Amino acid sequence: MKKRFLSLILVLAMVVSLVSACSKEGADKKVESSDKGTTSDASKEETNKDDSSSEKVEISFYSTQTGMDDKFEDIIAKFEEENSNIKVEYIAAGDNQLQKWMSLYASNEGPTVSLMDPINIWENQDRMLVLDPNENPWMDQVYESAYASYIFDGDIYAIPISTQGYGLLYNQRVLDEAVGGTFDPDTIKTRDDLINLFDKIEASGTPATMITGVNWSIGMHYLALTYAGYRDSREIEKTVVEESRAGTFDLANDEVFNSLMDTFDLLAKYNYNKSDPLIGNIDLDAEALATGKVGTWFMGDWSWVQLKDIADRDTEFGILPIPVSNDPSDERNLKIPASQPKGYCIDTSQNTVEQQEAGKKFIEFICFNPYAQEIISDTMGATLPYENVTVKSDSPLADATAWYSEQGRTLDISNFILLPSDFWYENGASMEAYLSGAIDRETLATQVSNYWKNN
Amino acid sequence: MVKKKASIRIFLLFVVPAMFIWITVVLIPFIYGLFITFTDWNGLSMDYNFIGFDNYKSVFLDNTFIESLKKTFVYSFSSVVFSNLLGLAIALILTCKIKGQNLFRMGFFTPNIIGGIILGYIWNFIFAFALTSFGRMSGIEFFEKSFLTDPKKAMIALIIVTTWQMSGYLMVIYIAGLINVPKDVIEAAEIDGAGWWKKIRYIKLPMIRSSITICVFLTITRTFMAFDINLSLTAGGPYKSTEMISYKIYQTAFSNMKFGLGQAQAVVLFIIVAIISIIQVTVSRRGEVEA
Repeated sequence: MKKRFLSLILVLAMVVSLVSACSKEGADKKVESSDKGTTSDASKEETNKDDSSSEKVEISFYSTQTGMDDKFEDIIAKFEEENSNIKVEYIAAGDNQLQKWMSLYASNEGPTVSLMDPINIWENQDRMLVLDPNENPWMDQVYESAYASYIFDGDIYAIPISTQGYGLLYNQRVLDEAVGGTFDPDTIKTRDDLINLFDKIEASGTPATMITGVNWSIGMHYLALTYAGYRDSREIEKTVVEESRAGTFDLANDEVFNSLMDTFDLLAKYNYNKSDPLIGNIDLDAEALATGKVGTWFMGDWSWVQLKDIADRDTEFGILPIPVSNDPSDERNLKIPASQPKGYCIDTSQNTVEQQEAGKKFIEFICFNPYAQEIISDTMGATLPYENVTVKSDSPLADATAWYSEQGRTLDISNFILLPSDFWYENGASMEAYLSGAIDRETLATQVSNYWKNN
Repeated sequence: MVKKKASIRIFLLFVVPAMFIWITVVLIPFIYGLFITFTDWNGLSMDYNFIGFDNYKSVFLDNTFIESLKKTFVYSFSSVVFSNLLGLAIALILTCKIKGQNLFRMGFFTPNIIGGIILGYIWNFIFAFALTSFGRMSGIEFFEKSFLTDPKKAMIALIIVTTWQMSGYLMVIYIAGLINVPKDVIEAAEIDGAGWWKKIRYIKLPMIRSSITICVFLTITRTFMAFDINLSLTAGGPYKSTEMISYKIYQTAFSNMKFGLGQAQAVVLFIIVAIISIIQVTVSRRGEVEA
C-alpha cells in the first residue's frame, strides 16, 4: 500500500512537471498579465481614465546588432514610458542571426520589428510591410540615398539604423611620423602612392598594414566589391551577377576582380599578421592599430567600439580608400565603400495590424528620438543617416565616413543585396585559403565561379 | 477482471506520460523533418514546393558533403581509439590503489563537466596564444604558428581536445567495470604466475567487455555528431577544412538557407550512425563474458 502510494506520488510529480513544462509559455504570459495588474494598481487613476479605449499592444523587437543589448533595453524602457499602451519584448540574436530568426518564425512568434541585413529582408520580403512615405511622413527624415539597400521593386522595406564606411583605417600619429609632417589622405591617389606610403611606414620602423584573416572581412567586405561598388553602374553590377549565376562570367579575366586582387596582394605583402595570416583576432588587431603597432588596417568605422576602450591609445584615426589602379584620375581610388548595413523592418505575416502600427511607432522613436539617437550614435560609433541629427559622435572614424559622404566620395555598395546570404561564408573560405597561400588566384576565381553555379 | 483493470491503470500511469513525451519531442519532429526533406523550403519562406527525392540526390552528388563525411570518419575513428585507450589506461592506473586516487579521478573527470562550447573557447585560447607564445619563446618552430590556422593541425587539435574531454568520462565507466572484476579470479591468476600484462589481457579486459561496448558505442555516436567543439574551437576553419558533418548540416540549413537539403543530409547522417552503431553493438555483444 505504502509503495503504491509512493509510486502514485512520483507519477503525479512527473505529470505536474510535464504539464508545467509544456505550459511554460502560458505561465510566462500569466506573469506578464499579473505584472500589468500591479502597474495598473499603482497608477489606477491614470489607467481608469482610458481603460476602455486602449488595450495594451505587445510587440517584439529582434536585434542583430551585437554588443547593444543593454542599450536597446534602455531605449525600450524610455519608449514604453512615453507609450504606456505598447509593451516591447526585446529579443537578442545569438551568434547566428538567421538561426534564431528562423526558429522564431517557425514557432509562429515572428518578431514585429527586426533589425536585419538587407539581404535577409530581401529574401523574405513577402513577409514584410512596405513602408510608404506618404502614409508615414516621418520617413522623410531619412536621407533618400540611405534607402538604396532597402528598396525592392520601387518599394521601401526597411529604415536604416546607420551609415557605415570602410577601407584602410589609419593611425594618424604613425603616418605623420612616416611622412614627416601631417599626413593627408588625399595624397594617396593610386596604388603606387599606397606602395610608397607603405614603404615609408616600414622605413619608420612600423609594419605598414594589417588584414584580419576572417571570412566576413575578406570574404564579404573585400571580395564582394567585385560585384558592387567598383563598376560603372548598378545595372552593370546586376548583369555581372546574372552572368555569374549562369556560369558565363569570366571572373579570372575580369578587370575589377584582378585590380582588387592586385591591391589585396599588396596588403597581404605588407600584412602585420603575415607570419600567421588566419589568426584573425579582431581585438588584438584593434589594439595594434590603436597603439600604433601598425600603420593601417583593412576594417570599418564600426571597429571604433573596440578601439575606443583601449588604454593608452592614440587619438586621431582616419579612413583611406582602397586604390585599385595607377590612374590618378580614377575616381574609385578616392572613394570609400559605404552603406546602410542594417535596417528595421516590420513583419506582416505573424503580427496583427495593431502590432504593425505599434512597430512603426517604435521605429520612429528609435530612429529619431534624441535620447535614442544619442545612445545609438555613442555605442555604435556610427553616422546616423537622418536629417537634423543633433547628437555628435565621438568617433573620428564615423566623422571620416560622414566627411566622405558629404563630399560625395562614397562607393554605392547597395548591390550587396544581390549576393546570397551565404556569400561571405562560402567565398570567405576561398579568400582565407588565398591569403594563407594555399591556392593561387586562378583557383580562387574558379572556386568563386563554382559557388555561383551552385546558387 | 480486477487484474486487467489494474494493469490498464498502471499502463496509463506509467507508459502514457512517457509515450506522450516521446511522441511530442522525438517522433513528431522526426516525421516533420522527413517531410521537409521532400521540399525546397528555405526555413523562412511562406510557401514551398515538393521536389521529390531531389534533396537526397544532391546530398550524394555534393562533393563537399562527401568530403566532410570523410573528415568526420577520420576524426571519429581517431577520437574513439585515443579516448578509449587513454580512458582505459587511466582507469587501470587509478584502480591500483595508488595514493590520492580519488583526487585524480575527480581531476580527470572535470573536463566533462565543462560544456563543449566553453571548452572549445578555452582550447582556442591555448592553441592560438599560449602555445604560440611558448613557441616564440622557446624557438620551437612547430608551435610558433597556431594549430588552428593550418588545416591538418586544426584537425589534430580537434582530436586532442575531444580525447581530453571524453577520456575522463570513459574512465569512470571503465573504473566501474574494473572494480566489479571478482578478486578471486585475479588472485587465481596471480597464483598461476600471471604478470601485470597477462592479468590485463586475459582477465580484466575480457571481464569488462560490456564496459568497452558501452564506451565505444558512446564515443562513436558522440564523435559522429560532434558539433559544439567544432563550432567553438575551429568554426569549420581554416577555410572549411575542419567542417565536420553536423557542422556542415547546420551551415547548409542556417547559413545557406537550404533547409530541405540540410534536413536530408541529417537523415543520411542518422542512417549512417544507426548502421555503425548496430554493427558495433552486435559484434561486441557476441564476445561478452559473464563472471
